[in-house]
Amino acid sequence: MPELGFKEIRTLQYSRPSVEKGYANQTLAVNLSNSEIAVKPVTAQMKEIFVGGKGFDLWLLWNAVKGTTRWDDPENAICISSGPLGGTPIYPGSGKSIVTTLSPTTGSVMDSNVGGYFGPYLKFSGFDALEVQGKAVGETIVLIDGIEGKVQILECGGMPEDAYETSRMLTEHFGQGKPRNISVVSSGPGAKHTLMGCLNFSWYDAGRKRARYKQAGRGGIGTVFAHKNIKALVVRWDTVTVSTNQPADDEALKEVAKLHSREIVELDPKQNEMAKIGTTHIVTIMNDYDLLPTHNFRYGSHPQAPNIGAEVYRRIFDKGFDGCWIGCTVACSHGIKDFVPFTGPYKGEKVFVDGPEYETIAGCGSNLGIFDPFTVAELNFYCDAYGIDTISFGTGLAFAMECYEAGLINGTHTGGLELSFGNRLSALEVLHQMARGEGFGKVVGQGVRKMKQIFAKEYGADESFMQDIGMEAKGLEFSEYMTKESLAQQGGYGLALKGPQHDEAWLIFLDIVHNYMPTFEQKAEALHWFPMFRTWFGLCGLCKLPWNDIVPEDNEETMEPAKIMKHVEWYARYLSAVTGRKASPDDLIAMSERVYNFQRVFNLKMGFGTREHDAIPYRAVGPVTADEYESRKERYDKQLAEEHKQDIAEKSTEEKIALLRKIREEKYETLMDAVYKRRGWTSEGIPKLETVKRLGIDFPEVVELLRTRGVQE
Amino acid sequence: MIKVRGKEHPWREGMTIAELLKELGSSYPYAVVRVNEKVVSRPHFENTTIPDQAEIYLVPMISGG
Repeated sequence: MPELGFKEIRTLQYSRPSVEKGYANQTLAVNLSNSEIAVKPVTAQMKEIFVGGKGFDLWLLWNAVKGTTRWDDPENAICISSGPLGGTPIYPGSGKSIVTTLSPTTGSVMDSNVGGYFGPYLKFSGFDALEVQGKAVGETIVLIDGIEGKVQILECGGMPEDAYETSRMLTEHFGQGKPRNISVVSSGPGAKHTLMGCLNFSWYDAGRKRARYKQAGRGGIGTVFAHKNIKALVVRWDTVTVSTNQPADDEALKEVAKLHSREIVELDPKQNEMAKIGTTHIVTIMNDYDLLPTHNFRYGSHPQAPNIGAEVYRRIFDKGFDGCWIGCTVACSHGIKDFVPFTGPYKGEKVFVDGPEYETIAGCGSNLGIFDPFTVAELNFYCDAYGIDTISFGTGLAFAMECYEAGLINGTHTGGLELSFGNRLSALEVLHQMARGEGFGKVVGQGVRKMKQIFAKEYGADESFMQDIGMEAKGLEFSEYMTKESLAQQGGYGLALKGPQHDEAWLIFLDIVHNYMPTFEQKAEALHWFPMFRTWFGLCGLCKLPWNDIVPEDNEETMEPAKIMKHVEWYARYLSAVTGRKASPDDLIAMSERVYNFQRVFNLKMGFGTREHDAIPYRAVGPVTADEYESRKERYDKQLAEEHKQDIAEKSTEEKIALLRKIREEKYETLMDAVYKRRGWTSEGIPKLETVKRLGIDFPEVVELLRTRGVQE
Repeated sequence: MIKVRGKEHPWREGMTIAELLKELGSSYPYAVVRVNEKVVSRPHFENTTIPDQAEIYLVPMISGG
């Protein structure tokens, strides 16, 4: 066991409760400013209204912060919770954790879901959720030891900087010869020096005998973590079996789990092969449909895209079981063994890369004009090691590259870095600078919204052009899908509660490939049902991949194939079997609707959550530049002439761009109206009083907040 | 002979994915078809030929992401 020098600041011995029907029925609160450790009860009302996972996180965060709290105030909390189904080892995709905090880039509530063992181990150690407030004086570790029944705040010195080495050492130290008993949450030096820090959640890969990682990437949660001086959160738990989660009906659980698990084993090899290639198959498919972002979302395809697609990574990925939770048959968390970086502190050494997944390939590859699979892997590796979100890094740097190529910034601003698209050495150098807190990397690390301000104020760059091409909304960088031709997906991004991340609604295929939702009302219905059902996974500690990435062979014959109702029904049975709470598919939607609306109201509390904050940059809606228009001229001309009945014969490209823009922006506004109406919100995008009453979230503070914003009965 | 979703189907030289789908008579708008390990999207159905002995998987990619 390595000798690590820890100074004990506070220890709480506790009697670990038995988990009952998926709940530990208490939460853990740690305040790093005064070293207080407290255990709080979970009430029946909390379970009824918020279910668990993200719901519990939001309730704890709501009570921890005021409307005036900023991300770097000590009272801001980082909350982590799995959910009542989290930790089930026989049902695929049942090991997720949800993390929430006030984001440094959006100023409002951020949530990010992540694999790894932490959330389930936390629950089995006696806590449905963890909230960490305050700010430690020195670098600190919080240990939750469910085996010995103690929570400790430990000051640590001399720990390694990066996430990989930190987690490796802590896994070895606290594992006491059983490293699988440990899960570590850590960040890295990049999280300290940027606003796009991520968290690495570890799981122990027994086959390869090493700690592996999944990331809670979005919205700078790692930055909050680093700012609080948290070096790591460590949880220690023992063996996990079906009975560890104490399901209400053991047999019913086993029955439905077997159905879903077996179906995946049978069908995944015939469909997307996620157990072999993860989500990399999406790269070439997106490219074929002109949906793969390239060069800062200017274009949707590139001839070199297959170089970073599944057929390449299939050969690079290390073979073996890659489930980020015990017993998951999707097992899509692939990695690269013995990878040798050619830059940075690990230059020339053999390392293990956890990834890349689709988002990282598109963000750190095609969107930067980089089509080399090994550079993508190296960017992936260092983003994780430094604690930086690969999506915000990719989208942020893509924006800077376009500004460089457009002449808005130049070498005097970048410290001499040549930032043209495709320059992989510059991309890597920017990343290393982020970790060191130096140079232009530090500027890119502020994210797109702040870069726009810096470039305008300090370098005199064109504000309106940057507003059009800067791919952020609500302060969060877009994830990696092209939305120009999918109005529904524009809504999927723009109307998402935390900012443009596709976890709420991924409607591109339904909208433009299958044309399932031609009317505004159909799009609005989809922008109600899909965000609600997808929210439900985050309440329960589940991964959504088993729902719709492996599909029953007879699904296409069902009434609503997009919803995969056979699986939705299985999930309702799963919830009932574990919690004893009888549920139908409609009940799952109702559960989510409460939490979803509560999060919208939470945004309002923080000064956001209204129509103006649902705006998206025009690059997400249509062609900004003449090059973009001309590259798809046939498509745009046809739309203007045939669909919109415009006479474009004598019009210049610039005039046609303006015409198309007016039409498309009006459509987005109409879509917002339709979605707000469907969700029971005002035309300003605020939940109506009748809506919060119907959902049972009409707490006095909520009602007062709505009334102060002019919402009347 | 090729296999489509595990069932044998006659093959002929030059057969494309688009022709195969027509022969199968399915009205479902498949966006992606796998030919052995290779993923082929609809824009390439017309110009992708199927080799003899191929395993064909009709991939119901719908909600993804």
